[in-house]
Amino acid sequence: MNKFLNLLFKEVKELITLQLLISLLFTIFLFYFIGQMAKTEMKKAMRTQKIAVLNLDDSPFSEQLIGNLKTANFQAEMVKGLDKQKAIDDTKATDTNLLLVIPQGFGQSLETQEVKEIETYSYLRTFSLVGSRSSIIINAVIRALNEYLSNDFIKKKIPDFSPEKVKNPIKSRDFIIVKDRMAEGKPEAVAGFVSSQSLFVPVILAMIIIYASQMVISAIAMEKQNKTLETLLTVPISRTSIVTAKMFASGLVGLVSAVIYMFGFRYYMAGFMGDISQAAAASGVSGVMQKLGLTMDTRGFLILGVSLFIAILVALALATILGVLAEDYRSAQSLLMPLLFLVMIPYFISIFSDPKTLSLPAKILLYAIPFSHPFLITQNLYLENYSAVLYGILYMLAVFVILILVAARIFSTDKVLTMKLKFRKKKVML
Amino acid sequence: MIKAVEVKNLSKSYGNVQAVAGIDFEVGEKEIFALIGPNGAGKSTTLKILATILKPTDGEVFVYGKDVQKEPEKVRKLVSYLPEEAGAYKNLKGTDYLKFMAKFYAQSEKELGEFIERAKDIADLGTRLNEKAGTYSKGMTRKLLLARALMTKPDLTILDEPTSGLDVINALEVREIVKRFAREGISVLLSSHNMLEIEFLSDRVALIDKGLILDTGTSEGLKEKYKARNLEEVFRSAL
Repeated sequence: MNKFLNLLFKEVKELITLQLLISLLFTIFLFYFIGQMAKTEMKKAMRTQKIAVLNLDDSPFSEQLIGNLKTANFQAEMVKGLDKQKAIDDTKATDTNLLLVIPQGFGQSLETQEVKEIETYSYLRTFSLVGSRSSIIINAVIRALNEYLSNDFIKKKIPDFSPEKVKNPIKSRDFIIVKDRMAEGKPEAVAGFVSSQSLFVPVILAMIIIYASQMVISAIAMEKQNKTLETLLTVPISRTSIVTAKMFASGLVGLVSAVIYMFGFRYYMAGFMGDISQAAAASGVSGVMQKLGLTMDTRGFLILGVSLFIAILVALALATILGVLAEDYRSAQSLLMPLLFLVMIPYFISIFSDPKTLSLPAKILLYAIPFSHPFLITQNLYLENYSAVLYGILYMLAVFVILILVAARIFSTDKVLTMKLKFRKKKVML
Repeated sequence: MIKAVEVKNLSKSYGNVQAVAGIDFEVGEKEIFALIGPNGAGKSTTLKILATILKPTDGEVFVYGKDVQKEPEKVRKLVSYLPEEAGAYKNLKGTDYLKFMAKFYAQSEKELGEFIERAKDIADLGTRLNEKAGTYSKGMTRKLLLARALMTKPDLTILDEPTSGLDVINALEVREIVKRFAREGISVLLSSHNMLEIEFLSDRVALIDKGLILDTGTSEGLKEKYKARNLEEVFRSAL
């Protein structure tokens, strides 16, 4: 049997422990549970909401306001009597979270163009995301009513003019230009959509790199801790095969773990955000994106995949070297920290900043970190900066080759057993 | 005469620490040769160099004529090494561990089967071999590892403190097994603190201290030379 495959299977077997499976299942369950809970809460918020209404004005305008509430998915429950304080107290005792008080003379004041205030009382019984949703909706209803009333007023006073033209004499048409393509649309909507789509790439990459690296560092550290490394180093198989098998197995298990986590994360995000692509289609952003060429074709996905793959290889090679420095499993966990920094720096920069606006030293630092390139690749592909994409891939490849040569060199010498971090006194077994 | 091991002017340093300071010795084919000495004498370092884990700072080491520095992969095919502090993969069952290790040496499925059967016989762990190695006691792990080291009937077996962690009964069994395999044609190079064990097992011994070999000979020859009753007294006189 192929010795390399024998080693690879052993590495995979060693990595897939009951603890790993339980942790994976638990996380997926947790993500799914939170996502479902958020979805249910959102649905609840979208359902017909009860609203208590104390109508101290009995005009057609107040009736119209109440009618509009019904179209905004509110179930208006009229409060009897004329005492506001009693209405506030009575509503508190029910499960209704909102009380609307329409003051006396509301209709009349609208007819005489006086500003009249209506009052809303929100009973904040929970601090959840949906807790304040009712008052947001009611404000939207009032805005719509204001629009309706002002239009009505203009129509009556200046019948020959369109209220829309009176209120908004200047209109704008927004165009977006990307490279040599132009489309009509709102730039903030397109930018928002691209960043929401791009957000997943750094998250996936960060998770895969962290998981796979942790696996390989731990795999080497565990060999040392369990005193199996010395025996393994005496079997008739090349040291490069030992390094490669560890990297492949860790990469594989790390990749599968990250995919499973992302699957759970998608459920989680879907609970809060709904389906992004459906929302984009509904708002017309996807049409604008297509006109601007801001869509990822098969070639784009392929390049993205290659970039992610090389980034994972770089992480694994680096983790292999770090793993050699670890004496045991505990010290291996500390050694993951420098790698985490290398992943988190470009991760946050790619989310919150534009690399082009950074100072020169910061820019050099960013581009020197190999993991920066896949984080920036989605935007570069959208903007057709293929040279940046190519240089990024070539740079990562060069870093990987150097790291793997260093790792293989370490494994082929006795440094694999004697190399340790200096924070501990060097122990030598004579 | 075929030499299983030839060590010429071997030295090894870890930074400023000189672990082995220029030693020479030879091990004949089918011979059981022992290195005896106190902790820090350089025994384990010497064995690790022979097992191709460590590289010498100076000198030459040959196993059946193969240079451990220039042809380490060829040496690894001839040698089986049992470190003093060794473990098995905790997540693998005993049988799976043996199978995993045997696959590096077996040329066919038939040979693989033979290796595993031999290992089961040596380990003598019965149905416990179907349990994960993480559940084994220190003694059981040691027997599993010894079985792994001997199952392929290597040309040279290097055993660093083979009975370390074993109780009296198990230690006796292990000594018998090592002796039996030597009779069947395996050359053995071992180290031990236990002078009785060395006397029982070895054909020849080398007394080693502070990285230097003080003397070499058969147990009987050394006892006669130093007019000692046992190897412990020999060692004290040789210092």
